[in-house]
Amino acid sequence: MADTATIPHQDEDDGELKRSITGRLLFFYTLGDVLGSGIYVLIGLVAAAVGGAFWIAFALGVAVAAITGAAYAELVTKYPQAAGASLYVNKAFGSRPLTFLITVSFLAASMAASGSLATGFASYFAELWSAPPALLVSLVFVAILVLVNYIGITESVVINMLMTFVEAAGLVIVMIIGIVYIAQGNADFGVLTQIDTGGDYSSPALAVLAGISFSFFAMTGFENTVNVAEETIEPYKAFPRSLVGGMLVAGLVYVLVSMAAALTVPTETLAGSDAALLEVVKAGILPFSTDLMAKAFSIIALVAITNTTLVTIVTQPRILYGMAREDVVPGVFAKIHPTRRSPWVGLLFSGVVVSLLLVIGTAVTASGGGIDLVGRLATVTVVLLLAIYALVIISCLKLGGHDEHEEIFRANRPLLLLGLVGNLAILGFTVYDDPHSLIWCAGLLAVGGVLFVAEQLFGSKGTGSQAPDLDDVKGV
Amino acid sequence: MHVIVATDGSRQSLAAAKHLKSFADPTKVTAISVVAVIRPLASVAFADDLSEGRLDGSFRDAAQSAVDAIAAVYDGWGPKVSKRIRSGSAANEIIKAAKQYDAGLVVVAAGGRGLSDSVLVGSTAQRVQHYAPCPVLVVRPAPRPRKRRS
Repeated sequence: MADTATIPHQDEDDGELKRSITGRLLFFYTLGDVLGSGIYVLIGLVAAAVGGAFWIAFALGVAVAAITGAAYAELVTKYPQAAGASLYVNKAFGSRPLTFLITVSFLAASMAASGSLATGFASYFAELWSAPPALLVSLVFVAILVLVNYIGITESVVINMLMTFVEAAGLVIVMIIGIVYIAQGNADFGVLTQIDTGGDYSSPALAVLAGISFSFFAMTGFENTVNVAEETIEPYKAFPRSLVGGMLVAGLVYVLVSMAAALTVPTETLAGSDAALLEVVKAGILPFSTDLMAKAFSIIALVAITNTTLVTIVTQPRILYGMAREDVVPGVFAKIHPTRRSPWVGLLFSGVVVSLLLVIGTAVTASGGGIDLVGRLATVTVVLLLAIYALVIISCLKLGGHDEHEEIFRANRPLLLLGLVGNLAILGFTVYDDPHSLIWCAGLLAVGGVLFVAEQLFGSKGTGSQAPDLDDVKGV
Repeated sequence: MHVIVATDGSRQSLAAAKHLKSFADPTKVTAISVVAVIRPLASVAFADDLSEGRLDGSFRDAAQSAVDAIAAVYDGWGPKVSKRIRSGSAANEIIKAAKQYDAGLVVVAAGGRGLSDSVLVGSTAQRVQHYAPCPVLVVRPAPRPRKRRS
């Protein structure tokens, strides 16, 4: 038995300030979040827009995203709370309506992303078992993730890391196929510089911009790393390295994978496929049974998509929880299950909204709406996130000089400006190219509006346990 | 004997803390560690139902106020009380803490009586019971549910 009297400052021992997320875990968290969200799902669309040189779109897209990541790294070391973009914008502008809009946009983006990923999951699943309809697969997928989240078994850091390894393994397979193909001497490197101007886009610049716009979904997800900011050891060191480093590694992987895909499979085949990376595996370049390879690769893709979707589905109830505590949405979203300690109302709500998105999207597609559901929901995500990213960079610039202390990472200012221009250019093009996506954005934002109105009409002040005014936060 | 009182911010964990005080002999208890575990990858990393919580996105603050609320139960009781916040998987961290502080007893609250707690795996109290290096006091809720929750 310890003699407690001789240890007056026992509180300060390792027990008191124990954090659990190391820089390395943060790196894998970033990488896992980013890698799963798109390249498995979207590479076909990007190839269709740009042509053989579509790796350029991935390279430029990831550059813009990495700069945005640097802005996040600066802000997260300044304000390590888990609230993310809403908190930064609130600190910078102090406007409640703007903060609300950003929070709801982020929620909407996250829901659209879940929808797109669930649809992508169904495409790869069909490769293993094509009997059930895609809509059913994606709905069951969402339902299972909600349940898993409710139980709380998603929280294992080790499982998260393992899934990231599996995710990366799939992309390494694609790269190996590319290398083997080159070694066999069959590769025509001319493909890598071909930009298709005969299609929808007349100039090479427009085609590449379209490619960036379509591929940008694959760059998103890094913003979710602020979820674990408070629990990160030495965040001022870990965040710049892991966030920007993770993005750059992801970017390198994307470029190599796109090159491998472009070299081994005709661009038209990639463009026409729902599960485009599978075409690379099916090209039969490795001396294994293509059938077996295709099955193994499908499973890897499913793991990758699951990993990323899990994080988006964790984020939604968290946002709703935060908003309920601020009394801007009904208090039920702050309800925590007494034993499971999970925000079950928020989880259920997110599950229902994502499922509705999938049902409506499928209905629109079936009635000849002429849209690709994966692409449409990805575009909605990208539009909302680009607006948020741009505002986060502006907030970062505006907050320069405020709340400074020694343990802050400082992002390079000219680079931030470049990133801002990049984000706005992609945003402008995406909206111009696909104005209908704005209707979907508005529809999703309206969900937030409805919740706000419901709180105003039926909510009683203080349901969020006397949450502070956002203005109070500024004094911290 | 060093006793670990775990809290997940729930009212039931407060009841568990009070239960220990109701029967234990404060002269036999040398120290009490109130332990809260933040779950970084969970939707809500820590929820505090015990105090008039303010939330500015800091789950650490929530954990701190929950630990404070539990520690307040033992004010003036006798044993020295330390407050500890850990991070990771709840059951793992409670078990680790028990080993680290050479605890003689771990006090945890157990879930409700609903279907989800008997069917679904992964309950923290269950895992602590199975793997703790010392006796575990699991305080279950009273048969009749409480009327007030907030």
